[in-house]
Amino acid sequence: MLIAQTPFKRQDMPLMRGVIWVSRPPVSPPLGASGQPPFIASSLDEGAEVLVALWTDASVTALHGHVDMGTGLRTALTQMVAEELSLDLSRVHMVMGHTSVSPNQGATIASNSIQTHAKPLQCAAAQILQWGLDQSAHYFGVSVSDVLYGEEGFHVMATDNEALDLFYQTARKRVLPWSELLFDQNIALQLDLNAPLKDRQAYRLVGQAVPRVDIPLKAQAQLTFVHDMRIEGMLHGRVVRPPYAGVDSGDFVGKTLLKVECESVSHVPGLRAVVVQGDFVGVVCEREEHAEQAMKELVVHWKSWPGVGSLQDTENALSKQAFTERELINDGDVQSALQGAAVSLSQTYVWPYQMHASIGPSCALAQWCSDEEFQATGTRMRVWAGTQNPHVLRADLALIAGTVDASVEVIRMEAAGCYGRNCADDVAADAALLSKALKAPVRVQLTREQEHAWEPKGAAQVMKVRGALDKEGHALAYDFLSAYPSNGAPTLALLLTRLIEPVAKVYEMGDRTARPPYEFAHLRVRVQDMAPILRASWLRGVSALPNSFAHESFMDELAFEAQVDPVQFRLQSMSDSRAGELLKATADKANWIKHTRPQQQASDVRDARDARDASQPSEGAWLKGQGVAYARYVHSKWPGFGAAYSAWVADVQVNPNTGEVHVSKVVVGHDAGMLINPQGVEHQVNGNVIQTTSRALKEDVQTDPQTGSVQSLEWGSYPILNFRQVPVIEVLHMPRQDQDPLGAGESSSVPGTAAIANAIFDATGVRFRNPPFTPDKILAALNPLGQESKPEGTFKDPSKVGLGTRVWGSKAQAFFTKHPLRALTLKGVAKGVMGFGFQSLGVLSAAFLCALGWVLYGPNLNANLQLTAPVNLSMYGPKMIERGAQLALMGNCQGCHTQEAGLLNAGGRPIPTPFGVIYSSNITPDAQTGIGGWSYKAFERAMREGISAKGHQLYPAFPFTSFKSINDEDLMSLYAWTMSQTPVASEPKINTLAFPFNLRGLMKMWNALFLEQVPPQPANTSSALLLRGAYLVNSVGHCSACHTERNLLGAEKRGTQDLQGAYVNGWYAPALSVNNAAPMPWTQEDLYRYLRTGHTEYHGVASGPMGEIVQSWAGVPDEDLLAMSVYLGAKMNPAGLSDASLQSKAKERVDASKLKEEVNTGLSVGQRQFEGSCWSCHHEGGGPNLLGTNASLSLNTNVHSATPNNLIQIILKGCPSPAGKDLGFMPAFKDSLNAAQIKDLVHYIRGRFAPEQPPWSKVSQEIDQVLRAEKLR
Amino acid sequence: MTQTVTIKVNGQVRALELTPQASLLHVLRNDFELNGAKYGCGLGECGACTVLVDHQPARSCVIPALGVGGRSITTLEGLPLLNAQTSLDPLHPVQRAFIDAQGTQCGYCLNGMIMMTVALLLKNAQPSRQEMLDALSGNLCRCGAHVEILKAVELSVQYTRQLDGVRDAQVAQLAKSSSVPLQPGMKQGTTHGQTLDQTLDQTWGKAP
Repeated sequence: MLIAQTPFKRQDMPLMRGVIWVSRPPVSPPLGASGQPPFIASSLDEGAEVLVALWTDASVTALHGHVDMGTGLRTALTQMVAEELSLDLSRVHMVMGHTSVSPNQGATIASNSIQTHAKPLQCAAAQILQWGLDQSAHYFGVSVSDVLYGEEGFHVMATDNEALDLFYQTARKRVLPWSELLFDQNIALQLDLNAPLKDRQAYRLVGQAVPRVDIPLKAQAQLTFVHDMRIEGMLHGRVVRPPYAGVDSGDFVGKTLLKVECESVSHVPGLRAVVVQGDFVGVVCEREEHAEQAMKELVVHWKSWPGVGSLQDTENALSKQAFTERELINDGDVQSALQGAAVSLSQTYVWPYQMHASIGPSCALAQWCSDEEFQATGTRMRVWAGTQNPHVLRADLALIAGTVDASVEVIRMEAAGCYGRNCADDVAADAALLSKALKAPVRVQLTREQEHAWEPKGAAQVMKVRGALDKEGHALAYDFLSAYPSNGAPTLALLLTRLIEPVAKVYEMGDRTARPPYEFAHLRVRVQDMAPILRASWLRGVSALPNSFAHESFMDELAFEAQVDPVQFRLQSMSDSRAGELLKATADKANWIKHTRPQQQASDVRDARDARDASQPSEGAWLKGQGVAYARYVHSKWPGFGAAYSAWVADVQVNPNTGEVHVSKVVVGHDAGMLINPQGVEHQVNGNVIQTTSRALKEDVQTDPQTGSVQSLEWGSYPILNFRQVPVIEVLHMPRQDQDPLGAGESSSVPGTAAIANAIFDATGVRFRNPPFTPDKILAALNPLGQESKPEGTFKDPSKVGLGTRVWGSKAQAFFTKHPLRALTLKGVAKGVMGFGFQSLGVLSAAFLCALGWVLYGPNLNANLQLTAPVNLSMYGPKMIERGAQLALMGNCQGCHTQEAGLLNAGGRPIPTPFGVIYSSNITPDAQTGIGGWSYKAFERAMREGISAKGHQLYPAFPFTSFKSINDEDLMSLYAWTMSQTPVASEPKINTLAFPFNLRGLMKMWNALFLEQVPPQPANTSSALLLRGAYLVNSVGHCSACHTERNLLGAEKRGTQDLQGAYVNGWYAPALSVNNAAPMPWTQEDLYRYLRTGHTEYHGVASGPMGEIVQSWAGVPDEDLLAMSVYLGAKMNPAGLSDASLQSKAKERVDASKLKEEVNTGLSVGQRQFEGSCWSCHHEGGGPNLLGTNASLSLNTNVHSATPNNLIQIILKGCPSPAGKDLGFMPAFKDSLNAAQIKDLVHYIRGRFAPEQPPWSKVSQEIDQVLRAEKLR
Repeated sequence: MTQTVTIKVNGQVRALELTPQASLLHVLRNDFELNGAKYGCGLGECGACTVLVDHQPARSCVIPALGVGGRSITTLEGLPLLNAQTSLDPLHPVQRAFIDAQGTQCGYCLNGMIMMTVALLLKNAQPSRQEMLDALSGNLCRCGAHVEILKAVELSVQYTRQLDGVRDAQVAQLAKSSSVPLQPGMKQGTTHGQTLDQTLDQTWGKAP
């Protein structure tokens, strides 16, 4: 290990031996930088700031206050230091953003780290080398110019002075290494910013494509990311955020919490604390999954909050925001020039809210130091964070810790790429708060949803431009006004706890690149500074990106008016020759086609459908276009200074029939002066081109239409560019190695959006002034009259809808929900029943009254059987018990009789019914609480008549109407198995049915009415297999319990409706008959595969309640399932279609669906949601091959069903325990998508994969019902 | 309530007591203390958490740990074991390719990109460019390192082919029954830049 890698503290430096180091006093904050990102100076007590230290082993510690946000800054700075000291890269160890040792250089923003903040490092390194040269010259007795220096140290060549050479002979033959020069020395130098630097001609490392130093570590999963930091005793924290997602100012901030029910998570294992302070709510557990569980299950009550109003119309929203106007430039007389001009134009450009959308949600680890450590070292708290501005964060954390800045140590580790201020600081403060509360180390990981919701956004922006041409068509006047609602986004925990007041500061950052890079005789530039609406700070390009979008779009519009080629028009309007050279070179490299009007050329691109079948007429006559834009990113406090120059030529293709835009190629010219690492810069430029293309085509934060809260919580609702959509990128670096380095990379994002918009104009003749350029937006503009509206509910659903209740038919609930009082009256019940086909009100009410009287006053005639008997298991033998076990699995007894995470068959599982909650009974042979001691007769009576051994009637949630058909032998086997189980003492909860349903005696009447119903028997068959199947389906299998509709009193309609489909617990159990809605017929083979594996390639995967049943059937023998499939196959596929016949039909459907996948990308909100959230697993073959089956949704039964219940259920709840290990797991989306997003998704899936079916109606109501039922649960 | 599950990770078998809430990702990161698989979305949307389950790529964030009992998991850390007999290189050829092609920017999605590439090459040693795009199209990269990642995938194909060549040579050597030091014939991670680009352009032609 190098000495340079040994950790040290700044204060220790004067005591070290064998070192030369350069320092500077702490820097004061710049004066007059109001409205800019904060700079918090370090205290003088912390000692001088060390910049570079060189040790006896010629290793170098170089310290920098900025951080590497995945840009390769660490590598570039390493190159610069190694270059000055003429050492190998491997000798230099960079320490970045560690507050106890690194200098305070403010936030890592505005591509400024090399251009401004590398110089002190270079100078310090040069000073060290100069000292070495001076010392060795003295040692060798020569002038400094005679000393040579290399990796191994210093030496001299022979000189003219022979006498001296002789005198020094011995010495001069040797090399003087750093180790000798520095032996036992502590050489402290003051930074001299005028120190002469190495001649650039002699550079051998700077300007070279040096590989990044961090990539090998990352490719081997070594510790670099803060997410991977672990320390002894570390606990896991999660936060629960308030409902005002993404809003951080207003009186409600920190004051919206009503109550936290801490006991709601007392069951979570290893729970250490629930921490509540203002609106800050956090949970801490020993294990991460339990912290997540506690976060999800903690019951928190919030007050309603006022909302920030609708942000759907960005321009309108910003126009209502209070502002301060700053006039930045007013040259000439813009007003008069505009009025008197030959041609004048006025346009408004609107930029949307956008996100960093870091690929990894932020994470931090905080360690509260013990009092002993605090006293010994002065460190109160240590925080490992992925921050962008360590020293500013340190001050925030000190506020939380209640100590001075210097007592907090912030150790910066790498984090997922961010392009400005994301939640990295927020999570560090969350961790600090929890760590302080527990006096223990706590790691906090934000969820994807939290990062998306709360990260400070790139602000929406509105740019109003007026401009004019003179008579010759030259640029004359330009009047620019930009409104930018953003500030520095104070650290969230400080606001939630009200450690600081949630009053929105107004920053002056809307002025970046507000001056157009062109010459106008009359120029006015104004900026409206306004407080944020959504939480916002700086995102790549800050306000310069939208400002340049307006400048460069408007210049294109002026060029069109002037009838001058857009490149030519820009060149003749600019005075900076360096910019002109870049623009010209870029246009040349891109084979720019000069034009003075939109070319609207047909593209030779044929879409996938054409490629597949040339005989088909092309639906997508693509148009192609080329657009140009130029910008120099000017940042920092107005008037700021310029980073690199950049120009884009974008080639696009537009499909006027779908609105789809492809950016096929981008040639990007970049002049960043000297390139420290050309390869690194090129990668940065590529990245900027891709991200900018993504922002231009796709990105727009979804917000709640009423409150304005952030609704894009995952990648489907905030899609970004993927591999298929990446343009071909050609980078042109201007040869400027003789110039100073300029901030590189970010600059190349600035002109991008305008280049794409201008290219779309060239292709279509239509201007787009409001990114993102999504297909729906393009289509609406290209076909203003051709919009089809798709209102919900255009399709009248013939069937009524289930209400998230188990077993009971929907009609009953619908009736009782509507008329709650009537349910309590005889008349009402009778009326309800009448509606469902009962013949006589009289019969019913008589029966009801009779039953009521009976149960209240009559004797219990059932009580005379011998109900208890000692059980002698040896009577039954192992074979019989085994058969009983199989039958129990077939009947999925444990499905109802086992609680979630409870003991097998010990009962207590709540089964909600329209009449109240029923708790299943304990069916283990425990004498007190279970059915131990039940005689076979009692067991038989319960199974066949629904009467407990204790004499009370059982509710028909227990399917005794099916079980009554179990033959004696099987029933005996079931009894034997039941009694052979391990007894569990567990008393289930008491049922809480409302009157009159709490009167179990009423069930006697029910039995009288419904117990004797029998299902239709298979006729005219001698097939033993079929008869066996019928027996299993209708008895122990009790398929009808779910698949047969029930009447108002909860009885299956076995006559006409037997297995014709029904609603269960919010799911639809499809018809097991010819009426099944699946797009592919169910053959017997297919049914068998489904029952056996839970999956068939022609229909999809069993999920929800059926998934559990198939899992249970893993223990059922093949021949039983085969028999069931034969019986059901005969019902569902009477024509006897074979499996083979399905193949071509399936292929046809999948191919049709595949075409749509290839042709249409992200055309609608629903499609974009699908592509972001579902597609990786549910594609038609053109995606990744992940664990799990991927049957086409175009064959899926649920997608073709009459109602969307099952699809909604599976989207919300996922499939965490599939029926088989190879089926794959699906996550639940209920915490990630809102009802509107699910609705769009469901409609899209229906339209895309079941195009022959009518659209579903009432999707929103269905979603609400499932969500409500989930909440109640 | 906990259940016991036995999971094999990178050849190590461990029995763990877990509740149903534990995802495979939790277990890999916290019980096995592995850094490779990263939490990105918890919804299987981004691919940062990709591991191999019985050699098939899988999103470990959506897989309950109790659901992979008895199965064999390979993480980024375990990749070198996949070709341990063939190569002297301590890295898997795909890892080596991503380093040489500088196939990442911030590096957070890197695990997923490498694991998907390994899985692709396990099934298909000579994928077309379209097949590469298909394999990676479900993995998100926010920094925009797509160009470099695709170059890394192309280089992975080359390196894997070279390693296969070594394997063939080894077999031939074994036939001659002499023990010869193995050389993967692979460049160590040094400067590539234009040279690499040129190589790849020759191999694949300019990108369309």
